[in-house]
Amino acid sequence: MEAQSPKDSMDYYKHLSLFWTDIIHLMSSKPQALASLGPMRAFASNAKKISTELIEVNESLMEFNKFVTEYYKQLSETWGEAQKKVNLKAPDVPHDIEQMESFKRIWIDIFDNDFTELFDSEKFGVNYGKLVSKELELTKHWHNISNVILQSANLPSKEEIDEVYKEMHALKKRVTKLEIELKKKKELKTEEGTKNEK
Amino acid sequence: MKNETKFDPKLIEELIKFGKNIIDAPKFVSAPDEINLEVTPHDTVQEIDKTRLLHYRPLTDKQYKTPLLISYALINRYHILDIQPEKSWVRNLLLQGFDVYMLDWGSPTSMDKYLDFDDYVNGYLDSSVEFIKDESSTEKISLQGYCTGATIATAYTTLHPESVKNYIATAPVIDGWRDTTVISNLAKHMDVDKMVEIIGNMPPEFMYYCFSVLKPFEQGIEKYVNFFKNIENKKFVDSFLRVEKWLGDTPPIPGALFRQWIKDIYQDNLLIQNKMYVGGSHIDLKKIDMPIFTQVAVGDHLVSPECSMPLHYAVGSEDKTLKMYPTGHVGMIASSLSQTKVLPELGKWLAERS
Repeated sequence: MEAQSPKDSMDYYKHLSLFWTDIIHLMSSKPQALASLGPMRAFASNAKKISTELIEVNESLMEFNKFVTEYYKQLSETWGEAQKKVNLKAPDVPHDIEQMESFKRIWIDIFDNDFTELFDSEKFGVNYGKLVSKELELTKHWHNISNVILQSANLPSKEEIDEVYKEMHALKKRVTKLEIELKKKKELKTEEGTKNEK
Repeated sequence: MKNETKFDPKLIEELIKFGKNIIDAPKFVSAPDEINLEVTPHDTVQEIDKTRLLHYRPLTDKQYKTPLLISYALINRYHILDIQPEKSWVRNLLLQGFDVYMLDWGSPTSMDKYLDFDDYVNGYLDSSVEFIKDESSTEKISLQGYCTGATIATAYTTLHPESVKNYIATAPVIDGWRDTTVISNLAKHMDVDKMVEIIGNMPPEFMYYCFSVLKPFEQGIEKYVNFFKNIENKKFVDSFLRVEKWLGDTPPIPGALFRQWIKDIYQDNLLIQNKMYVGGSHIDLKKIDMPIFTQVAVGDHLVSPECSMPLHYAVGSEDKTLKMYPTGHVGMIASSLSQTKVLPELGKWLAERS
């Protein structure tokens, strides 16, 4: 595997890094097992996951940078255009309170209009959506790294806690359903009792 | 020195005074943390999970028979409807003789990420309605939904029309495709599945972001300039800080609920097309056949009138009223206009049917 394009270089670097991490891990696992015990042993076994995540973080970070650059480009271009409009509409430096107030009003109105137009636009919405999506991917890598540390300390991972939450939610729903059915049955019994008494 | 710029001394004086006001601000103003937003006396009559059902103590000797339950929005807390005595939505209704309940959704935590529309509609809201019916010995109640709380209340009203005598939809989020606000543009391009999978609940930081793109310079600069300019005006400062505290108190939205809300309302627009399902049950707006009062604000930049008004035309009711007010999203519920126009009109309509 040899590097050609930037993407190939990235893949090559990733492969190289994983290859040596794997080989070193395999080579050192037995001597490591002899020398370590308990949680530290678990961390040593899982440490490879951290290096994998760190490599992938770089990939996500490159994408994130692309969208964050576009985000600030859109903001600064809009700012520049709005400022030009303000300069045309209010070219003089305000000298008294009244002029200052009207300058402020012009500045705020133009800036609010131009920025609202930007935030309403398709190009802003699409880029912002992708930017947040990449930010979420970075968060996911951070979660995965944290999970390695949690597992080595014998603590539940995020996914394991989520399973508990899901189970609790399902149980609560079942209990509520049963309570409603029980209430209905009780009401029906009371109604029947009243009828029989009559 | 022909080109020397001369400034009006009053302008310099004004700038110096402004600087002095900033320095003196802590002497005149309470910290937002010191302000209590619970204004009108009430009792917590039911608690389920993190939700609370509040029952406001009456302010009149006689009250209308049909109680009113308010389903507040999922964004921020219910306090805006009772922000201060002279602007309180709740207090005004109490003074008009209505028996008022409020459903506080509380602040969900990570463990609530699986709560969905079904839990809110057929769980929390239904339990509250059932409780009120039992407590007030009535078969039906009046229901008011505000903003996203009206989306939930609308779904509830279609599924349980037998429990709702009158329905009031205030700035309801109904037709996502017609919504022309910035919020709707962001929602349409959001990868909501990824957000819920990775983060769980909709984080408050995201909501702050959404607020910050709404009139960013008016809200982010001028508002605070006015605050420091008027720092000695006790009434203005108190009102400002209350609203600011309310704005800053943004609870997360449960992940599963947020996912369905973004997809079904903003991305696929299922509610207005009568294609939405909640807990396996079909939401058909034609099933809303009781009297309905829809309130819309012309200058609403959070829920545009085009997003709310279609509800009026989609319901099956014969007794229906649509009112439009020259104000904004918050102005409709917490302003002098709401006290002098919006609430008296609502009160009159509701009194005739309660």
